[in-house]
Amino acid sequence: MSEMKKIKNLKEFSTSADRFEGANLLCPGCAHSIIVREILNATNDPMILSASTGCLEVCTAVYPYTSWDASWIHIGFENSSTAIAGAEAMYKALKRKERLPKSCEGKSPKFVAFGGDGATFDIGFQWISGCFERGHDMMYVCLDNEVYANTGGQRSSATPIGASTTTSPAGRVSYGEKMNKKDIVQIMAAHGSPYVAQVAPNKWKDMVKKIQKGFATEGPVFINAMSACTTEWKFAPDDTIAVSDLAVDSLVFPLYEIENGTKLTITYRPKNKIPVRDYLGAQGRFKHLFKPEYEYLIDEWQKRVDDYWEYLQRREEAGV
Amino acid sequence: MKYLGWDELLPGAILFSFDEEMEKDASEVLPENRPYAETNSYKAYVGDWRVLKPVYNRDLCIDCQFCWIYCPDVSIISRDKKMIGVDYDHCKGCGICVEVCPTNPKSLLMFEEQVDNDKALAEWPEKE
Repeated sequence: MSEMKKIKNLKEFSTSADRFEGANLLCPGCAHSIIVREILNATNDPMILSASTGCLEVCTAVYPYTSWDASWIHIGFENSSTAIAGAEAMYKALKRKERLPKSCEGKSPKFVAFGGDGATFDIGFQWISGCFERGHDMMYVCLDNEVYANTGGQRSSATPIGASTTTSPAGRVSYGEKMNKKDIVQIMAAHGSPYVAQVAPNKWKDMVKKIQKGFATEGPVFINAMSACTTEWKFAPDDTIAVSDLAVDSLVFPLYEIENGTKLTITYRPKNKIPVRDYLGAQGRFKHLFKPEYEYLIDEWQKRVDDYWEYLQRREEAGV
Repeated sequence: MKYLGWDELLPGAILFSFDEEMEKDASEVLPENRPYAETNSYKAYVGDWRVLKPVYNRDLCIDCQFCWIYCPDVSIISRDKKMIGVDYDHCKGCGICVEVCPTNPKSLLMFEEQVDNDKALAEWPEKE
């Protein structure tokens, strides 16, 4: 195991040489690339990466260009997890037979799969579940923007109640998406994964710490990264960090980690808890909730968030 | 660069990031020393996406590096813990760097694309 990169502060972090290039075709202000940069810069070890079909994949590998300065593979929508699991199994086999190339000597490559929320919550779910059952030494990062943004904003099972999307539009008869979001972090923790965490790009220190912890952990690691989408959440491109701050401080996206499937730790407690109403008001996809007939949904949402926060705190106290 | 047609691509098409073998991993080589291939998006240009551009004022900057960490397009150039400038070939003009800048007045501000940088620096607002 090679030594973990030391990142004490942002100045020190900024000396990293990026392995993700600009002039990819992600929207201006997209949080995906902020997350990818924070993950790739968290280590100096060689990286073997894969991506599911989705914004990140189509925008970083537009023929004839690639934006990745590391080994990167794309196969299909559902199998970024199994592609990287196969690479990891191959690495283990070659290591056992002492047939690794010279360039791998003294290094411990990191295997990371990226997927959007569509590829994680819906389409690729059974593949990820299989990888976690087999216990590959890999990290799966879900870039959770709560919608199929790449194909024009269809609802996914990560879309929260009340969000207007192209397949769950809000209008005279509907308030938008009617089903609640899957709790993917708890689902993956229930696989008995050694490390599962929820992160947000605006809390970079918390995020880098969790990523490094994930890299140091042997076994399948799941990271759910909140990724504010300027196009589908409908806010101005320069507000990405501000909206992410609102999401984290209103506890819609609480930052916590679960070790060995049970030990839950809350890693960030907002000093000033912001009402969910402020988070919803910052985004165009929830505009209709502020009509008098749908206001009750905001109160319901607030209650849901409060209950969940209460539940997380109780679990942290009990240590289970 | 010669582009292949969609039906001329080989199965399992590979796009290379670098033209030649690198002795070290890319994480240990700064961009200016890398042998970028023509197929690396570093060689591409998205500057024409911009309507507004960020202009950088060295005199006010405290090198906090917030703009560096939050730039989605790797367009803030930082070397030796110092912020040097903006990479206008890859900046899409989202404006996140300006929003996260903590100084007063801000050391990064958005200006119209056609405004000259020196002129923009001369018009910099006073401290509030």
